This record gives sequence, C-alpha cells and structure tokens, in this order.
Amino acid sequence: MTGLAALWQVALRELTERARSKAYLLTTGLTILIVLGLIVIPNFFGGGTDESIVGSVGEGNDDIISTAVELGNANDEPDDPPSIAIETVDFDDRDTALEALDDGEVDAVLVDGGEIVLRSVGGFGGNSFISGFQRAAGTVQIQSVIEEQGQEAADIVEILTTEPLETTTLSEGDPEESESRTAVAYFGLLLLYLAVLLYGTWILTGVTEEKANRVVEVLLSSVRPWQILGGKILGIGLLAMVQLLSTIAVAVIALRVTQAFDLPPIEIGSVLNLLLWFVLGFLIFAVLFGAAGSLVSRTEDANTIAMPMSMTAVVGFFVSITALNDPDGIVAVIFTFIPVTSPFVVPVRSALEAIPAWQYLAALAITITAIVILTGLAGRIYAGGLLRYGGRVKLREAWKSAAE
Amino acid sequence: MLKVQDLHKTFGNIRALAGCSFELERGHMLGFLGPNGAGKTTAMRIIFRLIRPDSGLVTWDGEPIEPDDLLRFGYMPEQRGLYPKMRAGDQLTYLGRLHGMSKTDARASAESWLDRFGLSDRVGDPVESLSHGNQQRVQLAAALVHDPTLLVLDEPLSGLDPIAVETMSDVLREQAASGKAVVFSSHQLDLVEDLCEEVAIINAGEVVVTGKVEALKDAAPIRHLELEVDGGDPAALVAFLDGVQSTKADGERLTAIIDADADVRGFIAHAQETGKLRHFAYTTPSLSDLFREAVK
Repeated sequence: MTGLAALWQVALRELTERARSKAYLLTTGLTILIVLGLIVIPNFFGGGTDESIVGSVGEGNDDIISTAVELGNANDEPDDPPSIAIETVDFDDRDTALEALDDGEVDAVLVDGGEIVLRSVGGFGGNSFISGFQRAAGTVQIQSVIEEQGQEAADIVEILTTEPLETTTLSEGDPEESESRTAVAYFGLLLLYLAVLLYGTWILTGVTEEKANRVVEVLLSSVRPWQILGGKILGIGLLAMVQLLSTIAVAVIALRVTQAFDLPPIEIGSVLNLLLWFVLGFLIFAVLFGAAGSLVSRTEDANTIAMPMSMTAVVGFFVSITALNDPDGIVAVIFTFIPVTSPFVVPVRSALEAIPAWQYLAALAITITAIVILTGLAGRIYAGGLLRYGGRVKLREAWKSAAE
Repeated sequence: MLKVQDLHKTFGNIRALAGCSFELERGHMLGFLGPNGAGKTTAMRIIFRLIRPDSGLVTWDGEPIEPDDLLRFGYMPEQRGLYPKMRAGDQLTYLGRLHGMSKTDARASAESWLDRFGLSDRVGDPVESLSHGNQQRVQLAAALVHDPTLLVLDEPLSGLDPIAVETMSDVLREQAASGKAVVFSSHQLDLVEDLCEEVAIINAGEVVVTGKVEALKDAAPIRHLELEVDGGDPAALVAFLDGVQSTKADGERLTAIIDADADVRGFIAHAQETGKLRHFAYTTPSLSDLFREAVK
C-alpha cells in the first residue's frame, strides 16, 4: 500500500465516522438553522410599516410631519406597504403634551414647528427620529423660501431623495466590484477565524482521543505518523468544507429569496483567492493543532494546550481587521510575512488592491514553506508524543523520543 | 524468521533493555516471559519500529524491518486500544484496509473473525457496548484480520475467563500450525508451557534463557522429585540424598528440588530397601521452576 493510500483510508474513516456521529449532524443542522433564522426572522419583523404617534402643539407642525412621511417613503416600491406612517394627536398646551409623552401615549412632541421633544435620545430609534424630522423641517423651510420667490416647489422632495453624485475611483475596475471583493474578503476572514477555532479543535481532540483510548499504538504498528496526521487533517478538513459550504449555500439562497439585503455580485477571482488562503490558513493551524494534541493524554488537557494556537488566530483576526482599515499600514505589511497570520491579512489586502505583487508572492512562498517545515516538525512531535502517556509531554521530550 | 539481536534501550535513567536477543521461525510459537517491567513491551514496540533502540537490530528473513514489512505483521499491544464508538465490523475492516487489503477482502475477513469468536451478531455494535472479554476478542481479531505472517501479542490471555482462554489458545495454535510465527508474552506459565515449544525469559532487560522448552528442561541443573511414604517420614528419607536444594510438604506428599546430578539411582535403591515407598516421581523441572530459577 502506498503512503497516500493509507492516508486516504485514515481520511475516509474520519469522514464516515464523524459524518455519522450525532454531534456532527447536530452542529451542521443547528448552524444552518441559526443562519437561516438570522436572515429570515428580521425580515418578518422589519418588513412592515414603522408606525409612530407624534403629539402636535401649536402651529406649523403639519407641514413638517407630512414632509417627513413623504421623505421616509420616497424610496419605497409602489406595491410595498409604506416604510413609515405617522399619526398626529393635537394638544392644547406644551405641558399636557409632555405628560402624554411621559406616559408613552405619543412617541414625540412637536412644538410650534420649531422644537421636538423625545423621552430620551438613547438608541438608534431616537436618532433616526430626530434626523428624519430635522430633514423634514429643513425641506419645509427651503420650500417656503422658494415659494416666497414665486417658484414651483413641488418636486423638492424628489430632488432631495435622488443620489446627486455618481461614485468612481482611481483604481481599475468599477467600485461595485471592489466593494464585492472587500465583502468576500471580510466574510472569508470571519470564516477562516471560525474554522480555525472550531475545526482546529476537532483535530486536536481527535488526536488526543486516539491517544487516550490507546488505539494509536495499533495504528502506528502499520501506519506512519504523517499518514495518520495527514489523513486526519484531510478528513476533518473535507467535513469542515461540507459544513461551511452547505451553510453558505443556505445563507445565499435565503438571502436571494427574502431579499433581506442586496448581495453584491460575487467576483470569481476574489473567491478563488480567498479559497486558496483559506486552505493554506486551515492547513497551517491544523498541523499545529495536531501536533499539540499528541502532547496530552487526556481530553481534559486538550483545551489548555490549544491556547497558543487559539490566541494566534485571535491575533490574526484583529490584525486583519486593522488591515481592512489601513491596508498599506506598517502593521498590515509586517503581518503579511508571518506565516500564521498571513492567511488572515493577505486576502484582505489583495481584496483592497493594497498589496504589491512581490509581497503577495513572498507571503505565498513563506506560508507554503512554513506548512512544509511545520508538517515535518509536527510529524516528529506527533510521533514522539503519541506513545508517551501520563501527564503532558514536554515538547523537547517528544522531539527527542521520536523514532525517526 | 524473526531475529531480535542484542537490543539495548534506556529511557532517561531507566535501563529498559540491556541485551535482548531471541529468534523465532515461521510455524513456531514463542512464549516471551519475564517479570513486570523486565522489558517485554519495549522489545515488542521495537519490533514494530514504535521505539528506536539505542543499539541492536531486529531482522525479518535476514533483512532489517522496513515500514512495508509491518503491513504483514499483526500486533496486539498491552495497552488495548480500539475506537470505542466505532462498530466492531467497521473497525476491523478499517484496520484490514490500513494493512493494504481490498474493501471486500477486509470486510469478509473481519466478519469471519468475529464469527470465529462468537460475535457474529455484534458486527454492527459499537465496541464500547461489548463486554471486557469480547473487546479483548475484537482486539485479537484486529491483530489477525489481515492474515499476518508474524503475530506479536502482548499479554493476549490476561483478564480472560477460562473458556475465552481456550478459544484464544486454539486460535494461536492454529496460526502457528498454518506457518505463522507467533510470539506472545504471558504470566500464565502453565498455559505457556502447554502452548509453546519455545520460550525466551527476560529479566531486567536481558534475555537470560532462550530455547526449546524441552531442551531447557533437560539442560536445567535441577530436577523435580515427588515422594509419598507408607507410614514413614518422607523428609527423613530425602535427607539420605545429597544435593537437595529445597523441600516442600503437601500433606503426605513431599516435593523437592534437587541437583540434576544427584544420585537418584542410589536413592531409589535405598528407598526400596526400606520398602515403604508408595509414590515416586522424578521429572525435569516445570516451566515455573525454570522461570523462578532464571529471574531470581
């Protein structure tokens, strides 16, 4: 049997046994349900008309309120229900109106077309309320100025609600495409981070379990350490892909169906680039997690030993957020060349077209070299750690006791 | 032929092996004996390249053992290990495939071994649901599933009930009879004596005795003597013999370990003159005697 055939057998076992396990089916199902829920549920609640009641004291409020409704509904599709609706309640004096506001009978009070009173300013709702009315009040004033000069002012609302400026950029390609690339990169970054933490742990505990239930000695009597480690990473990696891709597919379909928000057109090049770095990033962490797993004999100890890798992933994640804001900055450039963080940083920088070709290629070469070297090192640590039971095996001991 | 040549291995300050050598031909069964911690497991792990010796060599058919050779070897480690949640049949099929069998061959062999151990109705059950003894059977099947030419079994009979021991012993006998080389370690010396023509006894990392059981017994410097005397004192009678190493009374019967060159003829003549001898047995020592002698 060739080396790769045995590796594939190990991968196949991981695939079939894990895919059959309740834990895998449950997490896959739950993840899909949660994603579906996040997309569909706001659609139920957010779809309808935002109704509010405004108290009116004195003169000059009606124009503002009607303009606010007009502005708020300006972008609605003709068949849809209106986005906002405002009911007006008249009050004789300010104090009664404020009392009603305090009791929650009205959401806001307008006084003499020049003052708006809210219960509090906190939260997004209050602010959008204010900005809506401010805009309406401004519009009403412009309208009256124009009307005083005898002009026709009916289409002022229309003018205010269209986009007056078309956006273009100096870089090649249209801005919509680059927006899509950024979205894909950001999304991929998040996925890589989650995948490293989640599936890295699977590899870690998988290795520790084999050591804990001593099956590893039977395996090692016929298969070599790199075949077990490689097969495990391949098998779990494929399962991870299935889980991730099915979740993404469900999310994309749900978004298309509900039209919860507009999906940017997906640019295939950025997806492939992302996939490449995703695989590299997953591999490098998988190898590290696998080696770490061979150092402990009990699954309870697995969490402690995962810390360095989890922390590295956290660092990679935050560095790439920094890179998203400042893709040419010194932080982004430095972490481009560190093997464990480059899978996080490079896709972001290349999506923003802020990475010179030589840096991209250098990062690629460094990462691939690092994977090859780390696999060799991890294989030896793995081989040395596997047959040493008891407490936690020290790295140096595992290294020294490895057979080859 | 398996040849283990002068293995040495130290772990830190602990000397695990200090001159471990033995040989085993195809079609033979070797009992690998020694007190706890004598180095049996370390030697077995070295055969499977799980540990690298500091010095010494293991060869199979005259060649150093390569990874590919391992596919034709079967190993039952002292630390039993199977995937607890994996079905017994799947588990054995998987191990068969790891040794290079096709899917159908591996499956057929897995099922036939489970059948042989009376577990044909448990093929689809997870290993963790089986009793300790049945898990042990599956573990032995795991060493056999790929029809290996060399079987190395670390304490295959420990913790088994007498019926299971019998099944296992039968299987091991068959394997040797069909031309396999079988080596196993055990503390059940009576069983080993019953099963094996050859033994290697290891003490403190060194193989101190090795060879055919019968030849070892003949060559042993001691003999076993049993006496029963009608109405008399066997101890007084034995006192007539020169070279008695130890005696033990068991009711009317007296057993003694005596020098191999003691004058038994003269003793018999003397005993017959007294005319009171009811039972007399003069035999080569048992394997237990040899073992105690070797490791003391």
